[in-house]
Amino acid sequence: MIGLLVTVVLFPLVGWSLGRRSLGEAFLLGLGITGSVLFIAGVVHVPLVIAMVLIGVWGIGSGVWELRRGIPNLRIHSPVATIVMIIPLVALTFAAAVTPLNDFDGRAFWALKAKGIAHERSIDGPFFHGGTHDPRNQYPILIPLDGAVILSLAHSLDDRQLRWLYLGILAALALLVRERIGRLISPAAGAWCAAILVWIPQFAVELEGGALSAYNDIAIAAFAAGAFFELLDAEGRKSEIRFGLWLAFLVLTKSEGLPFALVFLAIGAFVFRKRIVTPAVITFVATAALIVWRLRIPAGDEEDVFRLLPTIPEKLHRLGIAIAAFPHHMLLMPRWGIFWIAVIIAAICVHLRKKPYPQITQMSADAWLAIAVIASILAMYTAVYVTTAWVPSELIAVTADRLLMHVVAPSLFLLALSARSR
Amino acid sequence: MSGRWLTRIAAALLFVSLAVSTLPRLVAIVNNARTLLPLPYEARRERQMGPWYTSIEKLRRELPRKEQIALIAPPRDLDSAVFASYYLYPIRTRIFAGRNAYRNAAPDRTRPAIVVAVNGARAERTEYDILRDRDLGAGRRIVTAPEFSAPTTSFVLPLAASLDGPSPDTFLIEATLVNPNAVQGEVRATFWPKGLVRTFTIPAHGTAAYYDFVYQLFGIMNSGWMRVESSQPLRAAFYFANRGRGGATLLPNAIRAATAIAPAPLHRDAKLFVINPKDTRAIVILNGESIPLDPHAFISRPIASVPVVSGDVYAFVTSRELNGRTDFLWPQ
Repeated sequence: MIGLLVTVVLFPLVGWSLGRRSLGEAFLLGLGITGSVLFIAGVVHVPLVIAMVLIGVWGIGSGVWELRRGIPNLRIHSPVATIVMIIPLVALTFAAAVTPLNDFDGRAFWALKAKGIAHERSIDGPFFHGGTHDPRNQYPILIPLDGAVILSLAHSLDDRQLRWLYLGILAALALLVRERIGRLISPAAGAWCAAILVWIPQFAVELEGGALSAYNDIAIAAFAAGAFFELLDAEGRKSEIRFGLWLAFLVLTKSEGLPFALVFLAIGAFVFRKRIVTPAVITFVATAALIVWRLRIPAGDEEDVFRLLPTIPEKLHRLGIAIAAFPHHMLLMPRWGIFWIAVIIAAICVHLRKKPYPQITQMSADAWLAIAVIASILAMYTAVYVTTAWVPSELIAVTADRLLMHVVAPSLFLLALSARSR
Repeated sequence: MSGRWLTRIAAALLFVSLAVSTLPRLVAIVNNARTLLPLPYEARRERQMGPWYTSIEKLRRELPRKEQIALIAPPRDLDSAVFASYYLYPIRTRIFAGRNAYRNAAPDRTRPAIVVAVNGARAERTEYDILRDRDLGAGRRIVTAPEFSAPTTSFVLPLAASLDGPSPDTFLIEATLVNPNAVQGEVRATFWPKGLVRTFTIPAHGTAAYYDFVYQLFGIMNSGWMRVESSQPLRAAFYFANRGRGGATLLPNAIRAATAIAPAPLHRDAKLFVINPKDTRAIVILNGESIPLDPHAFISRPIASVPVVSGDVYAFVTSRELNGRTDFLWPQ
């Protein structure tokens, strides 16, 4: 119960300390801020317990202060879509409450790191120096730090306390999609996009990477969604700061977060113009902290993609299998239904619509932004498949669907956009 | 048909394509949760992971909390070791992919002394020797057609060992004893210089075969020499074998003192071995140097060339060929 309480109370309150946001966005911001602050505190050797207490006091204090101005309006648009969205979330909540964690990466890497940090109250203690077997020692640890907060407050190393965290991320992502697409396109479109998201098998029921696992791919998808929506809302107040924060969260969540953030920065430069400096600085700070931390601890058996980049010329024969990877997995019906087919049709339809001039210009720009994000990220992942030291076909088999999850928000946005264009 | 209806139909198609896959699995997940609901949380894990998790729970109670544990898993079962590490935490672990990885880490002072063997079926606290014996027992002996001695009641094996070098070197004695008599034979084996004694019987017209004579008889990994005495004349074959490299050498019966080793070229790691099979002290003269030996002593010295040895002792030389095979020079 403590795990549930911390998950649903602490993280949104920390998120609201940045201002009044929707519940989903506040949860994700709180998750990211808590993990990032603890990580940087750990890097500069501030005791994690002190950092946790400060975050708790500051987050709850300012979050409650912000909420005193009034709880954000919870207007339920499209009740049918809302019910459709709630059904799998309720079922998954019941399952998460009862069923023990049973996936691979969650137990092998992520939840183990959360236990290690919670037990040692440190991000570079014996656990990260071979004290116990940690196969991917240098994986970023934002989510494990959030997990460590939960475990520490629960005074337990049992992973049942963490079950809510991962389900909460999916629910928060759905709420973020619902609110942002609802604001940008229409409330009904937002509601239906959120409903579609939670019914995608890869998100809802897939053992490896789904909401009942402790993988971090939904978290990456959520932070990428946050960054993407800030790109669309670039004129909003302090949007460049939030954009930078989302990118920092990406960097500190998974190894692919750094190139992901760089792609976003490159695209963001066209959108934010001179204001891109702020997100670039925030991303740089997160990256520098990650590098400093990695230099202090031994490497595990993780792959250093940057070091492998020069080997691309000798691995060009893999290009075919790498390029075919995502189209092949997009068509896996048990994991995606016709979702990706719909997204591709939507991307085409958006550019074939007939609407009045000013509206079409903005929609077209937004559509191109979504397409640019999806295409750039998938191109980057394709390059990784070419360079990898693993057997590409084996790596693709176990990762392609999870990598596709990362670009779900821009894809849903394209769907919504195409529906509006009719 | 209006664009609005087209959109609705497309959205419905999309949703149905997702629900067709998600709904049955969601129902299965919920049903599974319902069956687990009445159970305590640990029992739910047992239900999910079976006896494997039960063995982990037992280990969690047994293992010391502050000592690092070696998890030895066959390479095909490394995932099980990774999960064992997860569930045992905060007990610290280090994973070894196979027994050989553990033994190769012998020079590493931080190598954990406590061993847990993990596979897909269970995890259990054990000893390295036991794992080794299990592997050797499951494998095949090198010598399939042993060359037997003439029947005799007493044997002295100048070298009796059960030892590991760096992988794949696995030294042991493959022994076969045949009782050609119409009555059962009582056999007494004494492992020197430790002086350990074991007795066993071989039925009339029976055979006793060992893939690792020293360990199977005495339960230790060590080296020395051995006296084997029998109530009945036995035919026997004792081979010094390197199971890891598939090489075996028939051991002579060192029943009497012998020291005259013919000069021969030596390979690497050459050593002189001297044993004193008597119950009294002995003197060995080694290149003119006089060395006293305790009763039943077993000594070895690194050498660069075949030395001149004399005394009322048994001496022989070993060296390693480039392919790892052990080469013996026996006394005349």
